[in-house]
Amino acid sequence: MTIVQPSAGGAAGRPSSSGGGLADVIDTILDKGLVIDAYVSVSLVGIELLTINARVVVASVDTYLRFAQAVNRLDLSEQQKGLPEVMQDMTQGVAKGKTKGVAQGALEAAGDKLREFAAGEEDEEPVPRRRRRSREEY
Amino acid sequence: MTGSTRASAPAGRAGGKSGAKTAGRRVQTRRAGAPDRSATPAAQATACYVYGVLPGDVEVTPEGSGVAGGEIRLVRHGELAALVSELRLSRPLGRPDDLIAHQRLLDDVAAEVPVLPMRFGAVLDGTESVARELLAPHHDEFRAALDDLEGRAQFVVKARYREDAVLREVLAEHPEAARLREQIRGLPEDASWDARIRLGEIINQAIEAKRDADTRALAEGLAPHAVAVVIREPTHEEDAAHLAILVDDERRQEFEEALEDFGRDWAERITLRLIGPQAPYDFVVTGR
Repeated sequence: MTIVQPSAGGAAGRPSSSGGGLADVIDTILDKGLVIDAYVSVSLVGIELLTINARVVVASVDTYLRFAQAVNRLDLSEQQKGLPEVMQDMTQGVAKGKTKGVAQGALEAAGDKLREFAAGEEDEEPVPRRRRRSREEY
Repeated sequence: MTGSTRASAPAGRAGGKSGAKTAGRRVQTRRAGAPDRSATPAAQATACYVYGVLPGDVEVTPEGSGVAGGEIRLVRHGELAALVSELRLSRPLGRPDDLIAHQRLLDDVAAEVPVLPMRFGAVLDGTESVARELLAPHHDEFRAALDDLEGRAQFVVKARYREDAVLREVLAEHPEAARLREQIRGLPEDASWDARIRLGEIINQAIEAKRDADTRALAEGLAPHAVAVVIREPTHEEDAAHLAILVDDERRQEFEEALEDFGRDWAERITLRLIGPQAPYDFVVTGR
């Protein structure tokens, strides 16, 4: 988990190499790599694969509403502010101050972890996505 | 999940392709996270889980465990070896531990020797079938692919827009979005539904266009320092780019410096993540 971005001093953070979280694993090993079915026909063994939801971006009404809400909350400097907005901005300011630089990487990593756990629970559901029939024919 | 504690194989990488023929490279596998379930009755039907194909001159130190806790071993044929572990058939595959064990093992191995990774879930009825049906009929093809991958590793770069920054860009570039934003201001969602949908749609389209442009810029900027670049599908609506990149080991620093340049230029609007080195998942292609 590496963030490449300048620190306050302006020097770019060095990307160190790392493995990713479960979400990155799913992006990588579920639809990449050699497909054994293409090479082997006789001794392939059918095994129950659990449902694994790869992340696919599909624009939906929910996406649009979320964007609209995000842009609605956006603090544009020319905006005239009532008191509640000012207070909201202050709390946001504090949060932003905390998440600068390296800490932001940690927070984002933590975010990934949370998604992992959510995905994990889903993955534990014993719902077969597909069941390849055994093709042992001899 | 750090990559810094790479297994320290006793023998280093053989230099160059000819070195691949010299025996004695050892790959030490780290213990995978999957709990050891091997202490189950031997009466249960088992099969052979296949991770990938390696050069035949490789040794595996049998201390790691693979998917579902199976012991890692090699099945050899000619100048190839398949990395496999035993698997109970009664146990469904695909838990987080299984997925992580699969990738971790392949990435550890790839740090030492070239490997052709299989897609998750490749299972044959036994080691004999692995040699007879997988390795033997495709020996030369796999051997050539491994030679191509010698001294190269895959990296994944994920770029994500900083939400506030990209929304500001969109508002500045799309007057209708700015107008709609004013229109919904202070109104509850159900009183401004149509305007919100339209606004969100404009933003989404604008970000898609930015993603296309930024993905192209990043891919073109990194390509001179890479063997090959694959553009992956986005995994989030605020993704700016998602690339898999094959890099020569000796050009890794130059590649990372090129990426850092993007990180600097984009610091205000995009967060970059570099994942790897890992096995070349995106650069092995099933021909038939």
